[in-house]
Amino acid sequence: MKTFLMLLLLPLSLFAHLDIAVSYPYIGAITKVIGKNHVSTTVLAEGNWDPHFIVPRPSLIAKLRNADALIMNGGQLEIGWLPPLIKRANNPKTVPNTATFLDLSRSISFLQKPKSLDRAQGDVHPDGNPHFHLNPNNILILAQDIATFLSAIDGKHQAIYAENLKVFEQDWRTHLVRWQKNMASKKGMKVIQYHDNMAYFNDAYGLENIGTIEPLPGIPPSSRHTLELIKTINTQKPCCIFHDVYHSTKTAQYISEKTGIPIILMPHDIGALESIDSLVALFDYLTTVQAK
Amino acid sequence: MKKIVLLSTLASVALFAVAPKVISPEKRSSTLSQFVPDISAIVDFSYVNQSLDNNELESLHIPDSAEPATNANNGFNLNYLEMVLSSNVDPYFSMDAVLHFSTEEVEVEEAYFTSTALEHGLRLRGGKLLSEFGRINQQHEHFWDFAQAPLVSEAFFGAEGLNEIGAQLQWVAPTKLYLMVGAEALQGTNDVLFGNAQITDPNSPDILANEEKAPSLFVGYIKSSFDIGHTSVLPGISLAQGSTRLDRFEESANAFSGNSSVFGAELTAKHFFNSYRFLAWQSEWMTQNIDGTEYDASTGTTQRNSLEKERAGFYTQLVYAHDQNWRFGVRYDNLYQNDITLNGITQTTFDPSITNPVSTSENFDRYSVMSEYHFSEFSRIRLEYDHNSALYSESGEKQNLDTISLQFNLSIGAHAAHDF
Repeated sequence: MKTFLMLLLLPLSLFAHLDIAVSYPYIGAITKVIGKNHVSTTVLAEGNWDPHFIVPRPSLIAKLRNADALIMNGGQLEIGWLPPLIKRANNPKTVPNTATFLDLSRSISFLQKPKSLDRAQGDVHPDGNPHFHLNPNNILILAQDIATFLSAIDGKHQAIYAENLKVFEQDWRTHLVRWQKNMASKKGMKVIQYHDNMAYFNDAYGLENIGTIEPLPGIPPSSRHTLELIKTINTQKPCCIFHDVYHSTKTAQYISEKTGIPIILMPHDIGALESIDSLVALFDYLTTVQAK
Repeated sequence: MKKIVLLSTLASVALFAVAPKVISPEKRSSTLSQFVPDISAIVDFSYVNQSLDNNELESLHIPDSAEPATNANNGFNLNYLEMVLSSNVDPYFSMDAVLHFSTEEVEVEEAYFTSTALEHGLRLRGGKLLSEFGRINQQHEHFWDFAQAPLVSEAFFGAEGLNEIGAQLQWVAPTKLYLMVGAEALQGTNDVLFGNAQITDPNSPDILANEEKAPSLFVGYIKSSFDIGHTSVLPGISLAQGSTRLDRFEESANAFSGNSSVFGAELTAKHFFNSYRFLAWQSEWMTQNIDGTEYDASTGTTQRNSLEKERAGFYTQLVYAHDQNWRFGVRYDNLYQNDITLNGITQTTFDPSITNPVSTSENFDRYSVMSEYHFSEFSRIRLEYDHNSALYSESGEKQNLDTISLQFNLSIGAHAAHDF
């Protein structure tokens, strides 16, 4: 029995000393780049699933139970799946508003903050649109936030985290220039989306979202709304439909056939498409896919 | 040492000169105040059409179960209004309260604190709570996939399930595999199975059974879970053990005192095809042992009989969610074992004194089929058909009951997300 328990516990002790649980893959990637070999990251959600509807599988409770800290996106993006996991993990280190808990949304200025909260307008996020990591400029703020957080909970390696952040920032800034160049000609381009999850990307590069396939946030497509959207497309001539990888493209295909505008799959996180294996790959893809 | 601290502080100040600009709370303004607890209300309303009228339904029951197996009326029913309040109390506790309103009364279904700061994977909960015996017992009605509780839980624990005042301690093991062990000490005042009150003889001043000191019900369980690809499997076993005191002298001139135990085994397997489409198979099997003395006061002097009952039953259900809108499900319920031993003699019927004694070797089962349409996450309508062949009239005639129900469930406010 004892050896059996030892075997079960062994893989935990093999890891680095800080086990950081993070909600989404992109957070894991930033944390890893700042923490390097001083942290190990446990990513709870899979990148190709709807970030609003991650399944709170009990196996994730075991992952949270053993974590030293938790970093989440916030802005209520995890509201449907992370709270029940936190409540069951019985780990005081992953409880919100403690020193070992980080809510990234706190350092971000939100877009689309609703003026009134009413579910007649769909499943609105009270704080505004929470898909802020898709503006690559925000990644710098998030990286700084994570570096400060890691330094606070692991003061011994403060200087290392600060150094890693500096290297990451320099590297990221050169990418930002490249992505800006990729997108320069796209300014003012109109797009349709399924759900407005590219709002921050569009904001960063001056694209304009003129409609969504879902009639209201969280409400599945209806035929009446689809017909109205086709009318809007015909008068306003958007370039394309930005579609997430997790919703069915059935309605989008119908719209595409009726209007002739193409569907462009827009991955929202690392792992959303097989080729997206890093943050740089994610934005390389997002900033070049419209040109194809 | 001091030097190092000083140096690293200096270094960090220098390197973090461009600290992340945390937006002030005013700018992040949310209209929700942190000090108002999450409040939600859930209304469940249904239209029911049954093959028997309300009068006939009232006298039907599962043999040897005190509770009727169904409580819906023909026509419209306001099944319940449930109000949930929850919030952190301080850095150490959170609190939840669930108020269950029917058209006549309000009941505190749950009111408990939960520890949030215990270490080593421990969690303590105390107050009135739904026991985590098995899988369906701790789920609120609005989270069920079918309108009625499974026959086996209704027959063993009554329509309200194991809903008791007590304390619960749970521990999540520090293993890669999810493993949770829980123990509960509960008051033990369930209407149909557990009780601890003194029973006095209606025919003499004698005390037939002494009061059992509360808490008199103890529940323990071990639950685990693992994933095979996109399939999550959740096995678990549970045991409830406690004293039984059933004083029915006024209604049916009999009483019972003794000890009862219920053992349960559960297995759920849920496969996700994508974020919205899943197939879930959920089953629970329970076996019950009741052992003690029956007091029969029907003849003027109270007779004592030694009585032992062994019962077993299960439900198994399959639910398919096609997308965010549509869900379909089937469930089969069966109480297949009802052994009664009275004064050492195995009985072949439940009550030989009625016109048509019901055989104990009978199967008591029910089939249910449902389809649900979810307008959004907050409203759904469910069409369900049940064929119940577990019901008998008071004179022992089997009465099949067919029910069609259209059930509307709506929720408003901030309602915490559900467990898996």
